[in-house]
Amino acid sequence: MHDLSDQHHEQFLRLFAESEAALRTFVRSLLPLRGDAAETMQDVAVVLWQKFAEFDATRDFRRWAFGVARVEALKFRRDKLRDRHVFDDQLVDKIAEAAAAAGSRHEAQREALEACLQKLPGSQRALVLAAYAKGTRMDELAAQRGQTAMSLYKLLQRIRQALLECVQRTIAQEELT
Amino acid sequence: MKNHWHEQIQRHLNGQSSAEEAAAMHQALSDDAELRALYVDYANLDVALGAAADKTIFGGDELDRTVNFPPARSWRSPQSWRWLAAAAACATAIAFFVLSKPRHSAPARPDIAATIASTQSAIARLSVEPVSSLPWWTSPTASLLNPPVLRQWRQAEPVPKPQTPTPQPS
Repeated sequence: MHDLSDQHHEQFLRLFAESEAALRTFVRSLLPLRGDAAETMQDVAVVLWQKFAEFDATRDFRRWAFGVARVEALKFRRDKLRDRHVFDDQLVDKIAEAAAAAGSRHEAQREALEACLQKLPGSQRALVLAAYAKGTRMDELAAQRGQTAMSLYKLLQRIRQALLECVQRTIAQEELT
Repeated sequence: MKNHWHEQIQRHLNGQSSAEEAAAMHQALSDDAELRALYVDYANLDVALGAAADKTIFGGDELDRTVNFPPARSWRSPQSWRWLAAAAACATAIAFFVLSKPRHSAPARPDIAATIASTQSAIARLSVEPVSSLPWWTSPTASLLNPPVLRQWRQAEPVPKPQTPTPQPS
């Protein structure tokens, strides 16, 4: 038999799992490096759980979670990114709105990505996945491939653009059918 | 959407924007909702590619060949059980050694003293002579049987004399 704290925990996990991908995208859009976003996302998850008792169940969890994520991302930027070029609060609000509005579109894009990755030439697929593997350093990856970091970044930019255009085309075709 | 912004957005998400590029993009994102949508789409793609890379690593796809990840060991392999059994045996032996070690500094407990006293008394009542013929200080067991109290109590007790048959007059 589950007691109240178990039910509370399960409810949180269910709501968090539903919103996690959107939260990651939002946090990533506010922080200029993937590692920073991942670190902040850990803090967001902890704070959400700590404050979940205060959450009003009649409200939209995702909106509440976005508010918490916004505060945590701004805190990270204030503490660790003082010398970086970051967005002001008004633009952060606009990006938060854009990320929240794109929830279902982003979900469809994530689902379409698998097929688009398979459409890439094998070497490009292996490269982009290696570049996104945890702990990969771009300069080391470029050296392994015998190219400069700059040329590797350029190649990855083209691959990412091709992937984004592929997922957008895939979703448009699905909407037509 | 111009290719220029595709590149600028990706540069920003990689932390590569110069101050001028960041300022230009800040302005463009503030003014253009379509550009903001593209920006969050790239952020979403970035997160999704990270998840795909994780999935590929755990699934053992072609990435293993690219970055040479060592194969994951199975937890249930026989070797791991052998190591586990050896570790458990060592832990048991250490625990036995520690627990069975005598504690010299521990004070005598009252219940032990009472047990010794009652044992002495019972032996005395039974009039059992010590089995050991050694002096009491040479043996801890013998010392229990020869305390002064026991001796005094036995002296007070009348010792029955053996009855000898009276000679019958012939």
